Amino acid sequence: MLTDQMKAKHPRIFRSRARTRLLPYLFMGPAMLYIAIFVMIPLGRGIQLSFTDTKLINPQGGDPIGVQNYAELLTSERFWNSFVVTVSYSAAIVIFSLVLGTLSAVLINRSFRGRALTRAVLTLPYATPNVAVALIFLWMYNQSSGIFNESLSVLGIGEVGWLGDPDYGLFSVIVATLWKVTPFVMLVVVAALQSVPEELYEASRVDGADVLSTFRAIVLPHLMPTIRVVALLMTIWSIRRFEIIYLLTGGGPVETTNVLVINIYQQAFQSQKLGMAAAIGVLGLLLSLAVTAVFFVLDRRASLAESQ
Amino acid sequence: MKNIRKFAAIFTSRLVLIGFVLVAAFPIYWMFNTSLALDSELFGTGQEFLPHLERVGEVPQKLEDVGIFGLLANSAFIATGVTVLSFILAVMAAYGLSRFKFHGKGIFGFVLFSTQMMPEALLVVPLFALFATFGLLNSLTGLVLANTAFSMPVAVFIIKTAIDKIPYEIEESARVDGCSPAGQLGMIVVPLVLPSLAAAAVINFFDGWNEFLFANTFIRQQELWPASVGLAQFMGQYSTPLSTVMAAALLFTLPAIVFFLLVQRQIVSGLTAGAVKG
Repeated sequence: MLTDQMKAKHPRIFRSRARTRLLPYLFMGPAMLYIAIFVMIPLGRGIQLSFTDTKLINPQGGDPIGVQNYAELLTSERFWNSFVVTVSYSAAIVIFSLVLGTLSAVLINRSFRGRALTRAVLTLPYATPNVAVALIFLWMYNQSSGIFNESLSVLGIGEVGWLGDPDYGLFSVIVATLWKVTPFVMLVVVAALQSVPEELYEASRVDGADVLSTFRAIVLPHLMPTIRVVALLMTIWSIRRFEIIYLLTGGGPVETTNVLVINIYQQAFQSQKLGMAAAIGVLGLLLSLAVTAVFFVLDRRASLAESQ
Repeated sequence: MKNIRKFAAIFTSRLVLIGFVLVAAFPIYWMFNTSLALDSELFGTGQEFLPHLERVGEVPQKLEDVGIFGLLANSAFIATGVTVLSFILAVMAAYGLSRFKFHGKGIFGFVLFSTQMMPEALLVVPLFALFATFGLLNSLTGLVLANTAFSMPVAVFIIKTAIDKIPYEIEESARVDGCSPAGQLGMIVVPLVLPSLAAAAVINFFDGWNEFLFANTFIRQQELWPASVGLAQFMGQYSTPLSTVMAAALLFTLPAIVFFLLVQRQIVSGLTAGAVKG
């Protein structure tokens, strides 16, 4: 118990204790408040909306309808299609960006003339804004005059519909996205490669191991923690990626690229069903949370196994 | 025999690397090439592989005609706003996260990380309602506020990682000398993590520069569009020549590339290390 008298007697001690306890909150406070106002409260409102039949024309109105939106979604073919498209899209992005990104990182990690320039060129796509990526790929995929079909016709192969053909739509969107995101994986893996101790390479070279087995036995285990984090980031970023897909296909053809985020946008601003849109958003968020939880469990297990 | 194999391995790896470089560079080259072609060539006689460099002089006038400079100014305003606001919030939060133990620290870290999995499209609707109440729809300030919520956490991760690497003893001795906590942050920590601060600022600038979804839904006045929304609209209208659209897209891309190349090393180390500890 501190009386006023004691405070007067030990002003410094008291102040420093109260201060050290409050101090972190003073530093964190503004950011916490900001996230609360602009993310958490809107999120709460979004969750609440998902249990109503709110329409775009009257966003403040709308009656609570319980879990009806969710019930409708879980039995709707359109929602499950979106779900499957999102999972396939994300899985393809994660797998191919990791393989190609790691491969280019390993290739660029040796010293050769022009290495800095090569590396800079390889990272250009990551710096290109999403809208610019979408625009140039739209043009390259153009059915009658785009460079892809022009090249195919030189080879004597007929036109491919790319973004307009249900068989190629998702593939084309994935290729454009990979072009943009793979350099990120490369940059991160290059950074991780630089922490592999040189002696390890030397040791395996002395043992006469070839490149591939050196990579498998020495480099890959070193990279695994980094690769797991990148895989997580790539997954949750893929689940919420909007611009590139929206501008390339808008979810078509025949909903073959209709990922959850596009579905939310259509429900909200085309069908004007804000409640339904919010419900899809909540399910999308749950998907990301589930993926994150799985990653953390796997990560813990793997790092335990690696440390033994 | 061994030499031949070694040579083959190096040869193959060079070849693959050259392939990657071509794939990475081609779309950007093609953007440039297209910006110098005429629509009659693009949709008629065919696009030539080499650019019509003699037409470079016509490009500024074309860009002027579609008003891209005004749109780029809007993008620059959003990006600058996001950078400044995130920077102030993030430096303080990163210092708090790095240097103190307190109740709710883990939760706060998770909340920050969770913004990275929040689909913006889910928040568009509630934010729309919130901004309508405060008259922030149809304003660039509203876009700054909305985007900062998603970019600031990334800045926190980058800056916190950098602060973690600085030994606490330096601040400790300053504290003993009577330096206040704010002084320790401002005069000791900040100068030591300048490269990471630059990286965080560039990443945030980038986010603001890229902004599309909120602008596409919140902004009704054409004069307030950022370049991203403007470019997407040009592509939809057949009245704008494709070469002009591509020239504008290239102009929109260049600042991002320049900034990124300047600080990519710090960006990478900050992003990954921050994510590990999330």
